[in-house]
Amino acid sequence: MPKIAFLKLSLVLASAAILSIGLWSPGITPVQLSPSEQSHKLPAEPRSTNRKNSSSSNSVWFADTTRAAGIDFHLTCGSLEKRYIMESMCGGIAVFDYDNDGWMDIFLVNGSTLDDLQAQKCHPSKLYRNNHDGTFTDVTAKAGLNHCGWGFGVAVGDYDNDGWEDLYVTYLDGAILYHNNHDGTFSDVTAKAGVGNAGNWGTSAAFGDYDNDGNLDLYVANYVGLDLKHLPEFGQGPFCQYRGIPVSCGPRGLKGGRDRLYHNNGDGTFTDVTEKLNIDPNAYYGLGVLWLDYDLDGCLDLYVADDSSPSMLLHGDCKGGFTEVGVPAGVAYSADGREQAGMGIDSADYDNDGWPDIAKTNFSDDSNNLFHNDHTGEFTDLAGPADFGAVSIPFLGFGVKFLDFDNDGWPDVFVANGHVNPQVDQHSFGVTYAERPLLFHNLKNGKFDEIGTSAGPAISRRYVARGAATADFFNDGRQDLLVSVLDGSPILLRNQVSNSGHWLRIKTVGTRSNRDGFGARVQVKVGSLTQIAEVRANSSFESASDPRLHFGLGSSAHADSITIHWPSGMTDRLGPEAADQELVVEEGKGVIARYRRSQMPAKLEFPGLTHAPMPQ
Amino acid sequence: MVLPLGAAAQSQNSKSESLIRHGQRALDAEDFARAASDFEQARQLSPDNLEVNRGLLLSYLQMKRLDDAENIGQAAVERWPQDAQLQHWLGLVYFKKGQNPKALELLQRSENLDGSRYGIHLDVALVLLSGDQYSAAGEELERTVKLDPEAALAHVLLGRCYQNTNRTVPAIEQFKMALRLEPNIPLGHYHLGFAYASVGRKHGAIAQYEKELAQTPDNPSVLYQLGHCLLEAGDLQAAVSHLKRAAGLDPSNSDAAYDLGKALLLEGDAEGAIFALRHALALKPSDPSPHYQLARALQRTGREAEAQQEFQNFSALKKNQPVQGGMAAGPTQ
Repeated sequence: MPKIAFLKLSLVLASAAILSIGLWSPGITPVQLSPSEQSHKLPAEPRSTNRKNSSSSNSVWFADTTRAAGIDFHLTCGSLEKRYIMESMCGGIAVFDYDNDGWMDIFLVNGSTLDDLQAQKCHPSKLYRNNHDGTFTDVTAKAGLNHCGWGFGVAVGDYDNDGWEDLYVTYLDGAILYHNNHDGTFSDVTAKAGVGNAGNWGTSAAFGDYDNDGNLDLYVANYVGLDLKHLPEFGQGPFCQYRGIPVSCGPRGLKGGRDRLYHNNGDGTFTDVTEKLNIDPNAYYGLGVLWLDYDLDGCLDLYVADDSSPSMLLHGDCKGGFTEVGVPAGVAYSADGREQAGMGIDSADYDNDGWPDIAKTNFSDDSNNLFHNDHTGEFTDLAGPADFGAVSIPFLGFGVKFLDFDNDGWPDVFVANGHVNPQVDQHSFGVTYAERPLLFHNLKNGKFDEIGTSAGPAISRRYVARGAATADFFNDGRQDLLVSVLDGSPILLRNQVSNSGHWLRIKTVGTRSNRDGFGARVQVKVGSLTQIAEVRANSSFESASDPRLHFGLGSSAHADSITIHWPSGMTDRLGPEAADQELVVEEGKGVIARYRRSQMPAKLEFPGLTHAPMPQ
Repeated sequence: MVLPLGAAAQSQNSKSESLIRHGQRALDAEDFARAASDFEQARQLSPDNLEVNRGLLLSYLQMKRLDDAENIGQAAVERWPQDAQLQHWLGLVYFKKGQNPKALELLQRSENLDGSRYGIHLDVALVLLSGDQYSAAGEELERTVKLDPEAALAHVLLGRCYQNTNRTVPAIEQFKMALRLEPNIPLGHYHLGFAYASVGRKHGAIAQYEKELAQTPDNPSVLYQLGHCLLEAGDLQAAVSHLKRAAGLDPSNSDAAYDLGKALLLEGDAEGAIFALRHALALKPSDPSPHYQLARALQRTGREAEAQQEFQNFSALKKNQPVQGGMAAGPTQ
């Protein structure tokens, strides 16, 4: 019987096929590893070539101190199956000093479920007062922050310049402005103020004084127009699929919500100027909001991260008007001109060249952006060259915050991740619902080193994270993190970096400018290094952070000079100033108070003697 | 002299067997024309001999005499419907003729008759792969590697199936296995590099592409992927070098021209970028991305009016682009 070499024949055919690269490449659907698979199934990837430069990253450590802090909040956000789009988008957190005691307190926005919303069963948002000893007390009941609804984002700002921070909370239907009554309570002043965002599903919101009249205006990003009685059917239709499996629908295929811009009239009321200023005429799916002055012309501009549609950069003309320049500025799309699922945004001058840059998070399979400010009104996405982008591809990013966790004077970055479709866990896509956060250490050469897996178990653990905020909760000169978790408890990540540098914190008090000093640009010089930062509370995803500016001074025991450019046009020049203290700087007066760590108010002295409200 | 009838038959059989043996040797020596000649003669002597028909079918198949192979194969399959090898080879005839449904039918019939053979699963997989049926091909290849775990090629193909069905982790394992078995298997490093790149492991991808390039220095696809990865990783000088070579070796590769334009723009060579991007556009005028990139390059040179025009072209093309899925999950490659 002839022994025919059919094996050889097969191999000939196979070789011909495999040698043709083009045979399958066009059809390839790239996927990502889940973090667990990355860390457990695959041999360790050789660390980036930058690793050798990351001298301090080994000592970076964040500890989960949530339970010890006494924070027992549970974020409810629809069904665990996430059958509808709004069930994936909760998670607003605000860090602010509501009682003016000099310590950062916490407000956590709660969502709801369809059934509970219908039954008017409340899932209360919560306010936690900082006890100055690492613990917090739930003071929600007294505070009167009791609106019942499906909440999403929160903005912080002293809209009436009375020296006390107010709160603005977005809901599935409308929003609430809470006025701070200076006695630990808040009042709902939405109707009087005229900022109800009626009929809209608001996500992120941000206070900023775009016309430099000394009053904080308010921008509200609206996401999708939903009719709760006719919700799009889970998995039904082309916009309800992810990698071929049925998932919740949208935002594509759904009507976008037009963002709103409210101008502060200076008398406790606002005027909706959205139509007048032609804001968001295409009603893109708004998620992230950031006020910044990217061209250093002294007037605030606005960057809005839109989901699955072009992001917008509104250039302020210093006369109360805006021009949308996202496309020519290079921040509307990816570097290749693709729409991205923009979620969270933040800004800082990561390369210390004197101009604010922007970080933006996106969907999985896509790179996060690091838009470098080219000083020409344009940005270039340097996420790839900065080693900031590729590592983010497996992750679906939400909150993002710049922070200088090791106080070396160079902004690092934290990114909160978590997928929107729990269904991915039922498939072997290599994508998981819960994902670990990313922590980027700035290598001072335009590059970052992602050190999340070596910064402690609290960072390397997987969460379905959403909002992220930075704050020095313990007034110890180290920036901590607070992260919200969908259908779970938030995580308070205490910064325990062992070889942290010196630092300087600046709290701005505007007089001619808005009381918070939002929009003030502060320049700190230490030797040959010049850092800039802008004062703001609201950025990231649906969140507000500690508005006090934090500067790492490295090994220097003092800052040589400090210059504050106020939105009013006034400039204050200070310094030299010793390191490791907080300066309270009043516009036109300079330093009005200095606090070293040991001098921080040790216990609550309500309503606050050390940070007493300024007279109007 | 007249031989008795039995002796004549014996002689005929003996001649036939001799021809079959010669045919086998010719096949082994890949002298298919001679093999065909031997089996044709043998078939005249013994038309009902299964081995003869198998040999002739295979010889024709290897000689790409596909019509002859089809005729012989069809008759043989009708005569021996339970013979797995005949079905297998006739299936391959149809595969080579581009008649995949027929090929698949025969190959699967062969597989049902005798599923213990490594090659039948591999060939079924190849037919499925040629129709982009990665899941089904993957199942066949899983059977293949179970029958022969040392078959490096099957591991590579299985890896590609995993990669194309959103299973990058097992894909990487398969590519690594293949490379362990056969360190120089063609495109093994390329595929592993591609898988690494798709999960954001750019540095790992670059290392693999470089290994592949060491084996095939002038492969434009490898050069392009390496250049693309280097661009993503910010090594602009090396990216430009590789992308220039890729574009030179394959001037029809619009992606290489586009990436070259991007890299040059990031390097600060706006004029060079404009040249490369215009070339990319000439190759793929309906792609919005080069228009966007070109607009940005023109902005850099102060040619605002031209830049605006390109932004408009970009916007117009984008409006016609279909969108997929509820959220803008971006491609990573």
